[in-house]
Amino acid sequence: MNSAQIIIQIIIALVAIACAIPGTFLVLRKMSLISDAISHSILLGIVIGFFIVEDIASPLLIVLAALAGIVTVILVEYIQKTGLVKEDTAIGLVFPALFSIGVILIAKNANDVHLDIDSVMVGDLSFAPFDLLQINCIEGVPDSCINLGPKAIWVIGTILVITLTLLITFFKELKVSTFDAGLAAALGFSPIIMHYGLMTVSSITIVGAFDAVGPILVVALMIAPAATAYLMTKDLKKMLMLSCFLGVFAAISGYWLAHVLDASIAGSMTTVLAILFLLVYEPIITSALVSISIAIAFFFYQYYQELLVHGVNFEHLPLGEKIHTVFSKFILLDFIYCIGMAVSLAGFLIYILPKRGVIYGYYKVQQQKTEIMLLVFLLHIRNHEEESERHVKHLNEHINWQRLRSKTIVDLALKNNMVTIDDSIISLTDKGEEFTEKAIDYIITNKDAEIEEMKDDFFLFRG
Amino acid sequence: MGTAVLGAICGMLGSFAVLRKQSLLGDAISHAALPGIAIAFLITGVKDSNIFLLGALVSGLLGTFWIRSITKKTHLKSDTALGLTLSLFFGFGMLLLTFIQKQPNASQAGLDTYLFGQAATLLEKDVWLIAIVAGISLLILFIFWKEFKILLFDEDYTKTLGFNTRFIDVLITTFIVITIVLGLQTVGVILMSAMLLAPAAAARQWTNSLGIMVILAAIFGAFSGVVGTGISTVSGNLSTGPVIVLVAASIVLFSFIFSPNRGLLFREIRFRKNRNNIKMHKTLAFMYGIAKTHQNISHPHAIKILNGFQGFSKKSLQELVDLNYVKIDGQQWSMTQEGYQTAENLYDQQIKKSDE
Amino acid sequence: METNYAITVDDLTVAYNYKPVLWDIDLAIPEGVLMCIVGPNGAGKSTLIKSILGIIKPIAGTVSVFGKPYKKQRSLVAYVPQKGSVDWDFPTTALDVVMMGTYGSLGWIKRPGQKEKKASLEALEKVGMLPFKNRQISQLSGGQQQRIFLARALVQNASIYFMDEPFQGVDATTEKAIINILKELRKAGKTVVVVHHDLQTVPEYFDWVTFLNVKKIATGPVKDIFNDDNLTKTYGINYKVSVQE
Repeated sequence: MNSAQIIIQIIIALVAIACAIPGTFLVLRKMSLISDAISHSILLGIVIGFFIVEDIASPLLIVLAALAGIVTVILVEYIQKTGLVKEDTAIGLVFPALFSIGVILIAKNANDVHLDIDSVMVGDLSFAPFDLLQINCIEGVPDSCINLGPKAIWVIGTILVITLTLLITFFKELKVSTFDAGLAAALGFSPIIMHYGLMTVSSITIVGAFDAVGPILVVALMIAPAATAYLMTKDLKKMLMLSCFLGVFAAISGYWLAHVLDASIAGSMTTVLAILFLLVYEPIITSALVSISIAIAFFFYQYYQELLVHGVNFEHLPLGEKIHTVFSKFILLDFIYCIGMAVSLAGFLIYILPKRGVIYGYYKVQQQKTEIMLLVFLLHIRNHEEESERHVKHLNEHINWQRLRSKTIVDLALKNNMVTIDDSIISLTDKGEEFTEKAIDYIITNKDAEIEEMKDDFFLFRG
Repeated sequence: MGTAVLGAICGMLGSFAVLRKQSLLGDAISHAALPGIAIAFLITGVKDSNIFLLGALVSGLLGTFWIRSITKKTHLKSDTALGLTLSLFFGFGMLLLTFIQKQPNASQAGLDTYLFGQAATLLEKDVWLIAIVAGISLLILFIFWKEFKILLFDEDYTKTLGFNTRFIDVLITTFIVITIVLGLQTVGVILMSAMLLAPAAAARQWTNSLGIMVILAAIFGAFSGVVGTGISTVSGNLSTGPVIVLVAASIVLFSFIFSPNRGLLFREIRFRKNRNNIKMHKTLAFMYGIAKTHQNISHPHAIKILNGFQGFSKKSLQELVDLNYVKIDGQQWSMTQEGYQTAENLYDQQIKKSDE
Repeated sequence: METNYAITVDDLTVAYNYKPVLWDIDLAIPEGVLMCIVGPNGAGKSTLIKSILGIIKPIAGTVSVFGKPYKKQRSLVAYVPQKGSVDWDFPTTALDVVMMGTYGSLGWIKRPGQKEKKASLEALEKVGMLPFKNRQISQLSGGQQQRIFLARALVQNASIYFMDEPFQGVDATTEKAIINILKELRKAGKTVVVVHHDLQTVPEYFDWVTFLNVKKIATGPVKDIFNDDNLTKTYGINYKVSVQE
């Protein structure tokens, strides 16, 4: 690792934190897409600023860009207020229009300068470490400058410090106004000030991060860590910490992924963010997929190197055929290795991940469903004195359950000593009676946590 | 030509997206299509727009599916789901694109036209493809018009009537995705959503009928397609996408301001008129109060006594004179019979209103 | 028993995710009654209607309409959703909305024709909205919108009508107009089920009542069971209404 690499990593880590903080609030306030709009519109600000000062490095650009972001927010809100279209349509109209103006202005007037769309869209970090902030320069005297390190660190560092200061100072207000705008207003914190404050901070952050990662990936850095964190916790403080951590993690590992693949840093950061989100969202499936791809990539790489050494000419083959050639060398033993590696990795990942996602979720839902059905069944028995309603056959007919399902539920009830069956007539035991009564009580009074606790107390066997 | 047809279907299907409050779905899907294009290229190594379309279609549908399942299964809201899909898919696509660019065999030039769109890259067969899709969606739209309409308006009710709402829903969404994917080549990933929204949003301002709205949106879409392509060809190096979007945006702006029923301009005029009316009526009522105290209603009074009354102005007095409610004679005014009766009615109306 | 039941609900249980909303509901609604469902917020009143109509899938229980499964009898049932459930800025006219009521009997693809239009105009007339037939729906007042919804259900020419809070956000005139139409429907032998909020008006408007709070508390003729005891059971706290004599 050389110093340029370290500096790039510091920069993207700072960007990630600076994005994650406002991003968390945007996600909580259901305004994620505003960040998308802002990140596109600031292009116009940058372009206009460029025409005024003719200097891509001028701080005026940043100011104008942030201003363009705020103008976007105001425009969206204005259009929405006219009632002509809905909010999402307003967003979808404003930013493409502003963005188009920006693109056209570039194409018309700035063709020969360093402001091409591609670099604006993707962002470029490779030169950031060498773009130093220098002061005290004396004209014509080389080496007279005092070097303060890369400029990007200063820019994003300043933004981060401002964001953090605001966050700590106004944490309480932000929290209240995010969860209950009405209460906040009643307490005297103007939600409008909060709203525009947050919008301003977001705009400035997006502008700062824009250079490094480009507009769309800024959106990824703002929303993805926050959304992932929101799936893991509902505590605001924890959520903030987690999203910062996830952001930094994605930044650093994304950097190395880009290094390996020789691809764009921003693109690989986003890919890592996507994997992180998926790991939390669908842990089992994703772990399996990720592990398998890592294992395959590992072996693939080995063979690739080997074949290169043996002088196979890969240069001009399309990737599909490359893959084909490599895999034709694949043998059974490797296959077994590959599976073993994938399984152990997947096992580890599943073990450390929170329990969520389709398969686990399906299992959990089934369990909950069975338990609810059990309660339905017990309640039904309790409600009806007449024997006809308590006959085993009745379950199939009236409750509309298939035979298999009713059998599962009756069995569960029997196992837990909640009912007895006497000549095909079902009756509740004392324990069943008590359980049902408590459950209904809790359900009517909306005490979900107690139900779970009670289930632990009563059940010998879970559904 | 191709852009005209494209604009037309975008307008049509965009109307549905706007009314379903799925405006930004288009944005998300078009971004989500990018990795599909890149993967299609990676696997085949051929630059064939049909294969790209297929890749884009698959990843676009995957993105839609993802958005649905996130909003359904977690407490994340739809805006977050959209933002996630949009940025994560796009980021992954960027990774692949830059990866492709570094490949030695990269005949990759042309992939980045998908970012901003270039109508010039449309071949004749692409135009045919667009035309065929447009034809099919027009047909479907025509056949299922009634079903689409009722689903858009009231989903639960549609269910109770016995329609399979999921089928209709999938039908609409699929066609929206297909349209977006087709539009990528012309308008580009980033601006595709505007292409979908703008004609529909503009059309909505001019009519209160769904049928007319869809037709108008198609016309607006086709118009911006043609004009945008025209401008971009004439001025040389401009990408088509931004120009088309700007044309469409101008139509929207124009509609917002000038549409007769909902437009801001007419709303303002109506508002002013109303306020003037109220002012005038108030003045008249005040005069009525004074005139009532005299036996002869046309007894003249000094204009000065009106000055203290709020809402009185020379203009409103003049209007009253024009309406022949009041006569002015030097510094004096007097009420006419007509004015007196109008004022009396006004008074009654107000009483009735407060009764209700 | 000789009474014909319009709707029979057996052991109906509904849960959102893991959270139970309705518990083991047994309910039989006799033909030709004007019934209201009352209960506190979150008691599952709308859910009950929606699950009877198949909009929400219950986890247990059966619903039958005149003794046959609901799915086969769909055309006998009309539904008036809550007014807030749709986007009133939708570009369509009052007449169009009412015409939607005919879509169900038309089935897939077929278009409404003159016959349907005539029926819709008649329904509009009945609710006193004929002069507004070409109005855009966003330009109607809350009460007028509710009347349009009612007209849409009338067009379906069903035997059983379900209405979800039809008196919410509605002016006094409309409330009276609606209740008159409902009473007419009952006279014509139809069954009407209404989710209702205002306990004061129950004895005046309805002849049958169901108390609901997750479980069914009681059901029967208003004059027999609309009393403080059942109200307290339903609303939890000691609930006293001054039932107007």
